[in-house]
Formats: sequence, structure tokens, C-alpha cells
Amino acid sequence: MTLKKTLAAALLAASVLSAPAHAAGALTISSPQDPGNWDPIDTFLVNWASVATNIFDGLTYRGPDLELVPGLATEWEELDEGTRIRFTLREGVTFHNGEPFNAEAVRYTFERLLGEEGASGPQQSNYTAIEEVEVIDDYTVDFHLSEPDPVLLTKLAGYGAMIVPPQYIEENGEDHFDMNPVGTGPFKFVSYQERESIELEAFEDHWDGAPELDTVTYRFITEPSTAVAELQAGRVDIVIPPTIPVGMISTIEEQEDLSIVSVASPTVQALRFNTANGITENEDVRKAIIMAIDRQAIIDTILQGEAEPITSFQGPLSFGNDPEMEPIPYDPEAAKALLQEAGVEPGATVQIDVRGNDATFGEVAQAVAAYLSVIGINATVQPYETNVLLNDIIPEGRTGEMFQQAWGGWTFDFDNTAYLMYHTGERWNPYDSDAELDALLEEQRSITDRAERERLLKEIARYTADRALEVPLYNVNALYGVNDRVQNFEAAPDSRLRLTDVTVEE
Amino acid sequence: MAKFLIYRVLQAIFVVFVVTLTVSFAIRLTGDPALMLSQGAGSITEADLERIREALGLNRPFLVQYWEFISGLFVGDFGRSFMGGTPVINLIERALPATLMLAIVSLVVSIAVSIPLGIKAATARGTWIDQAIRIFSLIGLSFPNFWLAIMLVLLFSITFRLLPPSGMEGPVSFIMPAATMAIILTATNVRLVRTTMLETLRSQYVMVARAKGLSETTVLYKHALRNCAIPLITYFGLQFGGLLGGIVVIERVFNWPGLGTLAFQAVAARDYPVLQAVITVLSLLIIAINLLVDIAYGLVDPRIRTE
Repeated sequence: MTLKKTLAAALLAASVLSAPAHAAGALTISSPQDPGNWDPIDTFLVNWASVATNIFDGLTYRGPDLELVPGLATEWEELDEGTRIRFTLREGVTFHNGEPFNAEAVRYTFERLLGEEGASGPQQSNYTAIEEVEVIDDYTVDFHLSEPDPVLLTKLAGYGAMIVPPQYIEENGEDHFDMNPVGTGPFKFVSYQERESIELEAFEDHWDGAPELDTVTYRFITEPSTAVAELQAGRVDIVIPPTIPVGMISTIEEQEDLSIVSVASPTVQALRFNTANGITENEDVRKAIIMAIDRQAIIDTILQGEAEPITSFQGPLSFGNDPEMEPIPYDPEAAKALLQEAGVEPGATVQIDVRGNDATFGEVAQAVAAYLSVIGINATVQPYETNVLLNDIIPEGRTGEMFQQAWGGWTFDFDNTAYLMYHTGERWNPYDSDAELDALLEEQRSITDRAERERLLKEIARYTADRALEVPLYNVNALYGVNDRVQNFEAAPDSRLRLTDVTVEE
Repeated sequence: MAKFLIYRVLQAIFVVFVVTLTVSFAIRLTGDPALMLSQGAGSITEADLERIREALGLNRPFLVQYWEFISGLFVGDFGRSFMGGTPVINLIERALPATLMLAIVSLVVSIAVSIPLGIKAATARGTWIDQAIRIFSLIGLSFPNFWLAIMLVLLFSITFRLLPPSGMEGPVSFIMPAATMAIILTATNVRLVRTTMLETLRSQYVMVARAKGLSETTVLYKHALRNCAIPLITYFGLQFGGLLGGIVVIERVFNWPGLGTLAFQAVAARDYPVLQAVITVLSLLIIAINLLVDIAYGLVDPRIRTE
């Protein structure tokens, strides 16, 4: 009897203690990874950006609509044929510690990024086009470039280009800044418990107006089912990507006060071809394989509709994507005929290399193998440990006839994919060498005229599709699990979720 | 006893050496941390990767890296995490107590439940009580621990919203993870206590004690249980070591900020220094527990003490 009573009392106490903490204006977010360091130049992790985009500002700003607008710079002008950019800086902006933002802070930020401190991190290489940042006056700077970089203005909106406070870093040291970040963003840092959580609070003096929320807490929860359980229990308001697998969508949507919000992500999936060995050496065979696969059916069933078919190795949001381009249609009969013409006997084999930790793609690969068996090709799916596939198998040219490649950068620029996948000698291009393609890839890098560059990138997309260099599969959606008490929430395609306008209902 | 202890300590040092060498070597076969660190970059070149490897000290020969790790151990320096550069010792300092507390609570609960139940089953051998205890124990043994954990979360966190599904936010947070592990431990422990007790009850000194007219409680708890202690202590001690391994899965389900979660994140990020440190700490713990078990024999059994 007493045991029963004690148990009842304990559970009662527990229910009081674990009641959802719905404090006024407090938002809790579950993030799958702790970057371990909040310095903009020390990591290159998506889940760094999903937090830090609220702490820091860049010279330019790019929100969920992917339009580039003024950030800490109010305007800019390209001079000297794209080798010099003059920025006019916003006046009256202060860092969270009270330090003023000015041209000196900009110069300091980029000298740090391009100097010794930046050299040990993964950010520096993205900004090497910048030769020097020259202070013209307190609120004017000139960026001198060694060569035009057409994507630079976008890259200034995130990651390594976030503006940092010179005095604060010089006084407290790099190690302190890593764990106690200070920026000019809408939220300021409060506390950080490694591998557990980081807490932010509203910065009332933000130049773009104070945020609606009082505090934001990010909890680092690696296991998807645990993050979803926290969402279901009402203790987490938003679960950010990449956490929720498609298999859990129905669990969330079944609960009345929860929703799935999805948006096209930068990531596209393709099965690339080994163009040097096996039956996939032949272009017609590659086309036949593409024709044999019903991508729409794969998207509708395995991916539950949370993806868009693609026609080249980029999603619809990518700069360089051509909506006019027609995909090679699903036509198993034509595929069989094409195979026969190419002299491929029924029973020919291909191996499909995939990442072993990606259960969803594993199912996709099985479906592809089934479609290929219809046209008489025996496909085997070979799962590898992800790092082994990325480090040893693909760059060394040791794949089967087909291999999985998931790609996409936060800049949403096709150059980021095309150059690395198709240019001769690149790490991700172990098999192919095409002088015409190389020339196109190099040409688009040298021009800053947007329209001309877009035309060239579209031409590259068409060229690679004509040569059937990969099976373009789909652009996956980023999935957010959201409690309905969260208002004014807009899912960010690049996971850089800025929370200025978000409110919570009591 | 002194000679025995010295021998055991030397043995322990050798084991730590083999474990650390194996771990350091094996983890370096798993992939490149530089690539993990730049996953968002996309446009990473071989030169960039080489620069990051150099900053992390990964381009030096394996034995140099291993020596640095081993020599650091003696001064409590585990190096810095590849994920952010925090001193690993800071992470361990926080995670180790979390794991130990959870393991101890689970084991204590399990022992507190399984000793009376096991004795009851032994004394009521063959009756429905014995049968019921054995059936429940079998059911407990058949649950995979992560499944049980998820069921508890579904029931107590999502359906009834009584307990927090994850995190370590005070005593309430212990209920589900500790219950998950205690249920599975108890299933084995009850059977062990029962069998050991049955054997002891058959011995002659129990017969003598009964013949002297001692009460059944005195016979059971003073005479019989004392004599069951040696196999039980051995088993519980070893179980504690096994528990530290099993806790990894449970910690992940409950997002418990312990060594298991730390190790799991370290594996995913190829964070060599953290993973090396966690495994070294765990192996040191298990070795220490085994040593303590040996010493504990002496305390409960005067025969061993005097040898």
C-alpha cells in the first residue's frame, strides 16, 4: 500500500515538474548537432548556421525567400570590372557588448578570416577571391578582389563572413569568443552547455527592430525519435532539419497541435554513372537506365511526396536551373530498345553504391534496382559506410557502375555543384574528362554579369543531361516539425532560421 | 594480499595500454574528420582538407599521435575536441558523473528489488509465487532495452505527459532511464539470487541453524544470505561493467548527457580525441570495478581476508 502511495506521489510530483515550460515569449528548438564552437570561421556545419544566424549579421542578408538584401551594408557598387566592391555601411549599429560596428570591424573580420586564424578552419577557402579590405572612411569599405567572384555577395550573407567584434576578441581571446559569441544579430548569447543546449535572449537594440520573442533555447538532440517525442510532449516547439525522416511524418501530423512544414532544401540526390567502366561507359546505355526509372512513383511512395523531380544535378531554387528543360521521360519499352541497339544482352549487371546510414535512400536504390530488372539489367545495391564512400570509394574511382551522390550548397548556385562534379581532375569527378565542358565551367567563373552567367550555367546543365552523366533523381524537402502555438514561422530552405518575427501563443 | 594487488594493478596497466592502442588505431580507419568538419562547404578542395588535417595534427605519423595521447593521460590532458576545440577533459568531467549516477541508481534499484524477490522465489519454490516471479523475469529478459525505453516514453511522456522524454533535469529525469535498465537487470538478477539461494538452503549449516531452532528470518538473512554474497557480489560487480556498455543505447534514446551520448556524437563526427578519451575512461572504470570486487571478497569473507 505504502509503495503504491509513494509511487503515486512521485508521479504527481513528476507531472508538475515536467509540465511544458510555456513561459511568455520563450521558444525551444531541437537541433540535431552541437557544432561545439560558435566562432563563424571555425566550422562549416549547417547546424552552426541554424543557431548563429540569429547571433550574427553579414554585410548582405538572405532570408527564406533567398533574395539578397542589405544587411550591415546598406548598399554596394561593383567597380573596376568586378574586381572592387564598395560597401556603404549601416550607421548606429552596435554589437551586443556595446562595441560600435564600423569599417574597422569589417576590415578586422576579413583579415582574421583570411589570415592565420582562418587558415585552420574550413571557411577560408570560400573567400580567397578577397585580396584586401580597405577602409575608406568610418562607414565605407572597398573589397579588392584578385578575380571577380560572382557568388561573393551571396557568400557575404552567411557563415565565415559574419561580422565579429574586434575589441571583444582582442580583449578576451579566441578561446573565449568560441564559447561566448558576440555579434550584431537580433538575439544575444546567454549561456552554452556543451553537447546539451545554447540559450539566447532578445537584443533590444537590433538595427532591424527588437525580436518578438524573449528567449530562444536550442537543445541538441541527435536521435530523431527522441526529438519527435519532445515535440509530441510539448516540451520542444520546433524540430529543425536534418532530423525528421519521412517515416515519422505521419506520427507528427496525427497529433492535432503539431504540423510538418516542408520547404525545398539545397540537397539533391542523383545516381551518378561510372563513365569509364562497365556497361555505363556507353551513353545510350546510360540514357536507357534513366528512362527505365519512374522517379515520380519513387517520390510519391518512398518519399511520401516530400521531394521534387529534377532534370539536372540541381534543385528548382538553384541559380542555373532551367525550368524549360524537359526530363528524359519514363519509358521502359524505349529503354529496352535502346539497350538492344547498344548491344547489351539481358542479364547484364550493374552495381549501385549507396551510403549505408541513409535508410530512405536505401529503399530508393532497391526500387531503382527493381526498375532496372524490368529492362533486363541485374542491379545489386552495395551499401558503404558514408565516410568510406566519400573518402575512399568515389574520389579513388572505385565505385560500381552507379553511385549515390547527395549534393547542394547553401549558396544555391549551380557552380558549386557543376564545377566540382564535372571539371576534369576534381575530387568528385574520378571518371570523366570533357574539354568542352571544362571550358564552359571555367568561363562562367570569370564573369559577374548575372544574366550571362545564368545562360552559361543552363547550358552546362543541358550539356550534362545530353551526355547522361547521372540519373537526376530529386530535390529533397527540408522537414520542420512545428507546434501550432508557434506563429509567423517561415521555413528556411537553407536551415538558417532567423527568428526575429516569430511569436508564441500562450 | 599486497602481492596480489600489485599483480592486478600491473595487469590493469597492460589492459589499458592494449585498449588505448586498439582504439586509437581503429578509429583512424573510420574516415576523415576534416571532411566531416566542412560538410556544409561543398566547394572543398584537397588543399583545404590538407590544411584542416594539419591544424588538427592528423598529418603526423600514427605513433606520434598515439604517444601524445598516452603522455597526456598521465597529466589528465585528453587533448581538444575536433568539434569546436573544447578541452576533452571538460566534456568528460560533465559526462562521467551523469553516466555513473544513472548506472548506480539502476543497479541499486535492481539489487533492492531482486534480492527480496529472489529469496521469496527460492523459499516458495514450486508454488505459484515462484512461477509468477520466473515468468515475469523471462518477460523482462526478452525485452530489447531500446524498445522498452521507447515504450516507456510513449506511455509516460506522450500519452500521459507525466515524465520528461529526455534530458537530465533533476530527479524526475532518472525515472524512465533507470527503470528501463533496472527492469532488464532485475530479470537476470532475480534468477541468479533464486538459484544461489536454493543451493545455499540445501547446505548443512542451514540445516544446523534450523535445527538450533533459529527463526526462519534469521536463518535466511543472517546465515544463508551472507553465504550467497560472494557469487552475487562478483556478478553485480561484473554487471556494473556491462551496464556501462549498455548505457550507451539508453543514453541515446533519453538524450542523457553522459559518456554514451558523448561517444555517439564523437563517432558521428569522427572526433578522435573525445572517442579515445571516453573509451579509455570506461575501460579504466571497468578495471577499477573488477579490482574493487576482488577487495570486496575479503570484506565479506573472513577466510579470504586471512589468506
